Amino acid sequence: MSDFVYFFTFQDSSIAFVVIGIILLGVGSAYVGTYSFLDKKALLGDAISHAVLPGICLGFILAGTKNPIYIVSGAFFSGALATFLSSWLRKNTRLSEDAIIASILSIFFGFGIVLLTVIQKSGNPEMAGLNQFIFGNAIAILEEDLWIYGGLAVFIILTLTAFQKEFSLLVFNAEYGSAIGYPMGLIRLVFNVLMILSVIIGIQAIGVVLMAALLITPGAAARFWTDKLSYLVILAGVFSAVSGVLGTYISFVLPQMPTGPWVVVFLSLVALISFLFAPKRGVISRYISRRSYLKRTHQDHLLKALYRAGEKDKTNLSIEEIYETYPFQKKESNQSIKYLTKEGFIIQNQSLITLTSKGKSESKRIVRLHRLWELYLNEYMNIAPDHVHDSAEKLEHILTPELEQLLESRLNYPKLDPHQETIPRDNDEL
Amino acid sequence: MINHVESPILEIHDLTVSYDQSPVLWNVDLSLPSGKLIGILGPNGAGKSTLIKAIMGLVAPSGGYVKLFDKTLEEVRSRISYVPQRESVDWNFPASVLDVVMMGTYGKLGLFKRPGKKEREIAMECLEKVGMQGFAKRQISELSGGQQQRVFIGRSLAQNADLYLMDEPFAGVDMATESAIFELLQQMTSEGKTVVVVHHDIYSAVNYFDWFIMLNLHLVASGPKEAVMTEDLLRKTYGGKLNLLTKVSELIRQKEFNPLKN
Amino acid sequence: MISISCGLLGVFMMLRKMSMTGDAISHAVLPGIVIGFFVSGSQRGLEVIIGAGILGILATLMIDWLRKRARVQLDASIGITFTFLFAVGIILINLLAYKVDLDQECVLYGEIAYLPIDLWITGGGTSLGPRIMYLALLNLILVGIFIFLFFKELTVTSFDENFSMVIGIPAGIINLSLMSMVSYTTVSSFEAVGAILVVALLVVPPATAFLWTKKLDQLIKITIGIGIGAAFFGYYLAYYFDSSIAGMVVSVAGIGFLASALFKSKLISGRFGTSTKQEPFEKMI
Repeated sequence: MSDFVYFFTFQDSSIAFVVIGIILLGVGSAYVGTYSFLDKKALLGDAISHAVLPGICLGFILAGTKNPIYIVSGAFFSGALATFLSSWLRKNTRLSEDAIIASILSIFFGFGIVLLTVIQKSGNPEMAGLNQFIFGNAIAILEEDLWIYGGLAVFIILTLTAFQKEFSLLVFNAEYGSAIGYPMGLIRLVFNVLMILSVIIGIQAIGVVLMAALLITPGAAARFWTDKLSYLVILAGVFSAVSGVLGTYISFVLPQMPTGPWVVVFLSLVALISFLFAPKRGVISRYISRRSYLKRTHQDHLLKALYRAGEKDKTNLSIEEIYETYPFQKKESNQSIKYLTKEGFIIQNQSLITLTSKGKSESKRIVRLHRLWELYLNEYMNIAPDHVHDSAEKLEHILTPELEQLLESRLNYPKLDPHQETIPRDNDEL
Repeated sequence: MINHVESPILEIHDLTVSYDQSPVLWNVDLSLPSGKLIGILGPNGAGKSTLIKAIMGLVAPSGGYVKLFDKTLEEVRSRISYVPQRESVDWNFPASVLDVVMMGTYGKLGLFKRPGKKEREIAMECLEKVGMQGFAKRQISELSGGQQQRVFIGRSLAQNADLYLMDEPFAGVDMATESAIFELLQQMTSEGKTVVVVHHDIYSAVNYFDWFIMLNLHLVASGPKEAVMTEDLLRKTYGGKLNLLTKVSELIRQKEFNPLKN
Repeated sequence: MISISCGLLGVFMMLRKMSMTGDAISHAVLPGIVIGFFVSGSQRGLEVIIGAGILGILATLMIDWLRKRARVQLDASIGITFTFLFAVGIILINLLAYKVDLDQECVLYGEIAYLPIDLWITGGGTSLGPRIMYLALLNLILVGIFIFLFFKELTVTSFDENFSMVIGIPAGIINLSLMSMVSYTTVSSFEAVGAILVVALLVVPPATAFLWTKKLDQLIKITIGIGIGAAFFGYYLAYYFDSSIAGMVVSVAGIGFLASALFKSKLISGRFGTSTKQEPFEKMI
């Protein structure tokens, strides 16, 4: 507990630096990655993060130390080369996109490994720091490094925010962008540069393999909560920042644990929660709305049953009769009766159910929709009378008043449905 | 105008099919006679491809059923042949013309057997029927559109089925190939096979088919040429989208689940 | 031998446009390997292979679930799944370090983790050498049988999935079995050569071969040839330069790939679209 407090009140300035660092890194990657995700090229980030390895090693070999300038330049060079080769291959060969990305990824990474073992063999004492650089350990981010890498991250975030319009054009419909005069080639170039930069700074916190998560997962998760691009990007950044801090915390509390994997685990958890619980798009949310829809349908059916009884001059139904009409649904029937009574659609008197006037009106509406739809299917679509019932049974619950009006006018305010039953309207008496 | 048939080769009963969350075909009811050349017509998005896919079991219906030879699809798979749209496949695939046509024999071969001389002969015969025997060893990536289509048809011939379902076999095909294919289809029906074709062009359709299915999100008509090719029915088919139906489909699509499913 | 197994499977992965999935699976199996190590207590248990196999299937199922039920787009599903599983694997290595014989530093390298010794001397200890070889041999035999038995099913499902379903081939099962074979091959090979090499061998030789030919049987043969060639050259170069074998083999394959692409593109721009002579329209019977 005291660890927790110590960590989060930033009493140690180095911790503060680390947290700031990881937030910036994470947010920068999330921003870039979200656009990439929307472009459906999410795995390109994975390729780039593997592809920078040889560049990093090369930079190190040339500099002899862990000099960030050399390393970043080296990484940038090999990342750019990889990106360039990918587009070149796409234009000039028949290879499919996934094969190109996968090949570039493995080839560059393999070459990087060769360089890495050369470095290992050389026995350069600086090398140890390099290892950490590559696998990612946010705790090890030092103050000087933070300025450079943090600065780059801020640059990325600002550029993407400032030019949101241009980048969304790129991702959504690049051809249209060209057509209306935007320099799409330049924009794509800038985007690629930003991507490479964010990979370079990101892998320090998280390592080469897991970098893809930092790019893809925040955007994918945020997508489930909103449709607006500006919110989407910000939310992705938030997810990334939160996961980053939590991951760093774990790494702080359990020093033998590397930061990277924990950040990814938290990100994935956030993603899973989003996939399940986000309103509208989440799996659980869809399940819940389906369930409540089914409840609604049952209530509507009950009202219809009462109305139809009324057509046969039966003013009410007993609970037993309702159970009989809907076998195996006793529980749902009870729930419906409770709900309908509460909302004032029906009155329960001992074991008899009667429609209130509110209920009469509502039940008429449902029956009307049902019969109108049946008539429409029958007259306009030549569907046999005995086949229209199922469709109407399902659709009567969702037809809106606007559609109702359309139906009425299209069918010319008809009196009877295909089964010769009256179409009830509010001004007639039950 | 829906003609029903005694002992139909294909029977569709109250079929509703959704595609991508909203219904594309509403309550289709029809039956088809055997031994005829049947055309499916309708505007874009009318559900023609979806109907074929639903018959072939590639898309599950939200309601209703399909019966082939008075049985379910599973029981009679070997008697039905399917020619998908040309764009559904990557023609860069490393296969020769003969390879593709031989795929038609795989259904009857079964899981572990390798195609042998007999299959090769069948494939060559089918290639001859579509006029491509000279191309047997050619790579499919080198073919023109018309040639690709002929290869696809060759493959379906190799299945030696009784009922053939073809999805837009004349899209983007040169005139010579088009007439050649029709000659072939007519010959097939004279041999007693039934061929159902999704077609995009109504003018040529009138000359080619004996029986028509007209779709516009629902079944407008199904019957022999004389009964169905009337101005009234054509207008119902092509005369613009059904406003109401489209609105309802839209409404359904916006819900996160499909209320038409059980 | 490993390059042959990978090449065979890799051809089909490439044709199905699933090269990245292969990469993902090789990362995703890490937790299975760790658990296998943990359970078996030593490096060489059958448990490792089973663990990885299960993880491979789990990964495929997860990707599928994300795509179909959660409705996440495909590339994101792959990315999220494998990074998550790999992260779990690394965490497990840390947690179970007292019993699991994988060096943590090496693990953090990612794939280098799998390379037990830098310079792999074939037949390093008479107890070591033959065992790994037998594993690879077994793997090759099983892969070979798989491809041979299901050749036509694999081809049809890769070319035209709808058609294959229509003629009654269980496309879903074929797909799953292919993924399982890939997982199995990854694991069976990682001990010897590292997962990075496995992925590269899955992807690069088929891609290179595809630049040279369009015929399936040639494609396979060339792939195998390239795989073996890269293996030999890579090994000797690694010995010469005193560096990682896996890395060298990949680099050699890579150079082969890029050179082919360069060579073929200049040539192809002259010859692209072999103009099929419009044969006179054949009379049909």
